[in-house]
Amino acid sequence: MRDRFNEQLEQLNVELIKMGALCEEAISAATKALLDGDDALRESAAAAEREIDQKERDIENLCMKLLLQQQPVARDLRAISAALKMISDMERIGDQAADIAEITLDIAHSPMISRVPIAEMARNAIVMVTDSIDSFVRKNLSLAQAVVRRDDEVDQLFLDVKQELVRLLGQGDSGEVCIDLLMIAKYLERIGDHAVNIAEWVEYSLTGQHSALN
Amino acid sequence: MTAKLFRNSMAVAVSVMALSIILFMGVLYQYFSDQMMEALGTETWLVARGVELEGLNYLDGLDSENRVTWVAADGTVLFDSSTDSAAMENHGNREEIREAQENRLGAATRYSSTLAEQTLYSARRLSDGTVIRLASSQRTVWLLLLSMVQPILVILVLALLLSVVLASRLSRSIIRPIAELDLEHPEDCDAYDELAPLLTRIKRQNDTIKQQMGQLQQKQTEFSALTENMAEGFLLLDRQGRVLSHNPGALRLLGAEEPVGEVNALFLNREEHFRQAVDEVLEGHRSRQVLQMNGRCCQLLADPVWKDGEPAGAVLVLMDVTEQEKREELRREFTANVSHELKTPLTAISGIAEIMQGGMVKPEDIRDFAGDIYQEARRLIALVEDILRLSQLDEGAESLEREPVELLALSQEVARRLEPAARSAGVSVEVCGAPVQVQGVRRVLDEMIYNLCENAIKYNRTGGRVTLTVGQGAEGPEVTVADTGIGIPPEDQSRVFERFYRVDKSHSKEIGGTGLGLSIVKHGALLHNAQIYLNSQVDRGTSIRISFPK
Repeated sequence: MRDRFNEQLEQLNVELIKMGALCEEAISAATKALLDGDDALRESAAAAEREIDQKERDIENLCMKLLLQQQPVARDLRAISAALKMISDMERIGDQAADIAEITLDIAHSPMISRVPIAEMARNAIVMVTDSIDSFVRKNLSLAQAVVRRDDEVDQLFLDVKQELVRLLGQGDSGEVCIDLLMIAKYLERIGDHAVNIAEWVEYSLTGQHSALN
Repeated sequence: MTAKLFRNSMAVAVSVMALSIILFMGVLYQYFSDQMMEALGTETWLVARGVELEGLNYLDGLDSENRVTWVAADGTVLFDSSTDSAAMENHGNREEIREAQENRLGAATRYSSTLAEQTLYSARRLSDGTVIRLASSQRTVWLLLLSMVQPILVILVLALLLSVVLASRLSRSIIRPIAELDLEHPEDCDAYDELAPLLTRIKRQNDTIKQQMGQLQQKQTEFSALTENMAEGFLLLDRQGRVLSHNPGALRLLGAEEPVGEVNALFLNREEHFRQAVDEVLEGHRSRQVLQMNGRCCQLLADPVWKDGEPAGAVLVLMDVTEQEKREELRREFTANVSHELKTPLTAISGIAEIMQGGMVKPEDIRDFAGDIYQEARRLIALVEDILRLSQLDEGAESLEREPVELLALSQEVARRLEPAARSAGVSVEVCGAPVQVQGVRRVLDEMIYNLCENAIKYNRTGGRVTLTVGQGAEGPEVTVADTGIGIPPEDQSRVFERFYRVDKSHSKEIGGTGLGLSIVKHGALLHNAQIYLNSQVDRGTSIRISFPK
C-alpha cells in the first residue's frame, strides 16, 4: 500500500517537473519571440500554454486521487497541497507567457524594445521561474529563498521600464507600442510574482512554514 | 533438541521396561500356575484321603482357602464349601470331573460360572466312584503380580530421572560444538568427527563466496573506472524512468547535482529534448536528440533495454559535441567564404568578357579591359595559391624540411622585396636588431614575415613607418613587425587570424589581398611552435610579435 503511495507521489513530482519545464519553455519562447520577432516561437509559446493547461488538469486529478484514496498526513499532505497550489501558479505563468507572445505580434521588430530594459526583465523572470522549479526538484530551501529575494529586482526593473516608457511617451513616441511594452513588462512582473509563490510553496512543503502566511 | 533427546531416551527406557515386564510376567504366570496346580493336586489327594476315611464329616470340618466340592458318581453335588450344594446343578459333565471319573485324576483351567472368575480345578475319584474337586481362583497370580507394581513404579521414576540427566548431557555434548562453531574459520573448529564434512563444506563455500565477491568487486571497480573516467555521460534508467546508474560525465553534461537516493531522470534535467528522448525510449523507441544547454551542445543517444519482449528500461549516452559543432560551423563558413571570394573575381572577368563579346568596347579601350581581366585573374591565382598554401600547412606539416634560418637576413630580404610596394604607399620600412637563428622551414618563415610586413604597409597611412625588429627575447628568438597604421579594434583582435576575416569588409577590394594572410601566419607559427602576440590600438598602429621557442 505504502509502495503504491510512494509511486504515486513520485509520479506527481515527475508531472510537476514536466509542467515546470513547459512553463520555462513557454516563457523563454515568448521572450525570444519578443526580442527576435520569431513567428514560430510565438506559436510554440501558445502550444506550450495549451499543454500546461492540460497538465494542470492531470495533476489536479492525480492530487485528488491521492488525497481521497491514501488520506495522507503530515509531510505527504503538505507536499500534495503545495502541489495543488503550485500548479495554479504555473498555469498562470503559462497564460501570461502566451499573452506576451500574442502581444509581440503587434510590436515585432519595433526599435522601442531595445530602448527599455525589458530584455533584462525577461531574463530575470526566466531565471526566477527556473530557480523556483529547481528548488522544488532539488528540495533546496536556500534556492527557494533566493527566488523570493530576486523578485525585488524584477519589481525595480518594472518601475524602470515604466518610467522610461513615460519619458518616451512624453517625447511623442508611438503610444501603442509603449502601452504594449508596459503590458509585457507587467506580465513579466506577474510571472516573477508567480515564481515567488511557487518558491513559497516549495518552502512550505519542505518546512511546514509558509513565509507569506506567517 | 534437549526435549527431543529426552523424549527419545525416555521412550527407550519405558519400552524396554514394558517389554521385560511382559516377558517376565509371562514366565512368572506360567510358573505360578504350574505351582498352584501342583499344590492343588496335592491338597486334592489329602482331601480325598480324608473323605474316604471320614466321609462328609471330614469335609464339614475342613478349613481350606480353596473351594472344595464333592460330586456323586452321577454328577449330583454332595457338598460345596462355598455354595449351598442343593442349589447347584449337575456337575457330571464338568471337564475335570469327567476326566477324574475316567482316569481317577482330572485337572482343568476354565471360567467358573459359580465363582465368576478364572479358576484352576483339580479332581480325584474316590474308591466309591464319587469325585472330590478342589478349585482355586487364579486371582492369586494377579495379586502376586500386583504386589510388584510399587517397585516397578520406583524403577520407572528412576528411569525418568536417568533419562533427563542423560538427555541433557547428550544434547549438551551434541549442541555445544555446533553452537561454538566459528563459521568464518570452520577449519580451526574443534568439533566431533561427524561435523567434519559439514565444516569442510562450509569452508569450501566460504572460499567460493570470497572468490566470487572478489571477482564482483573487481568487475565493479573496472566498471566504475570505465564510466567515471569517460568524458561521455552514461545513464541507466529503469522502466519508470528512475536513474539506476549514472557517471560523473552525465551529471556534468546535464548540469545536474549528485542525486540523493533513487530519482527520476527528469530530476537531473528537464530540457524539452531530454524529456522527449526519455519518453520515447521508455516506450521502446530509439531516440537521437541534440540538447542545447548553457551554450554547450550535447548529443543524446537513447536506446531501450528489452527484457522478455518488453521495454525494461533504457540506456542513455551523452556526448559533448560542442567542439564538433563549432568545427562544422567553421567549415561551413570557410566553404561559403571560399566560394564567395572565388566568385567575385570570376564575376568581374565574366562581366568584362561579356561586354567585349557584345562588341560594345571600342578597340582603344580593349587594352584597359584586358588589364582588368588580368588583374582579376591575378587575384584569383593569388587566392588559390594562398588556399593551397594553407591546406599544405594544414595537411603536410611533417613533410616540410627544416633547416637553420637566420631571421635578420630573411627580414632584410623581405623588406627589399616589399620596397616598391612601400614606396608607392608612401611608407618607410626599417629593419633592425641582431641576427638570430631558428630551426624552421625557410619558405614558411619567409611567407610569415612577408605577410605581416605586407599588412603593415597595406594598413598604414601615407608617411607611416614599418619597423621589423629581430632579436633574442625572453622566451627565445623573436620577430616583431610594428606599424603606425590604422590599428585593429579590440573586438576584432581575436578574430583577425581567422580565414577570410576582414575588419573592414566594405573596402576589402580596394586594399586587395585574400583575407588569408594572417591565417597563414597563424598556421606557420603553429608549425614552428611559435607564439603570436598582438598589440594594437586604433589609429596608433599595430605590433605583432612572433616568439619562437628556444
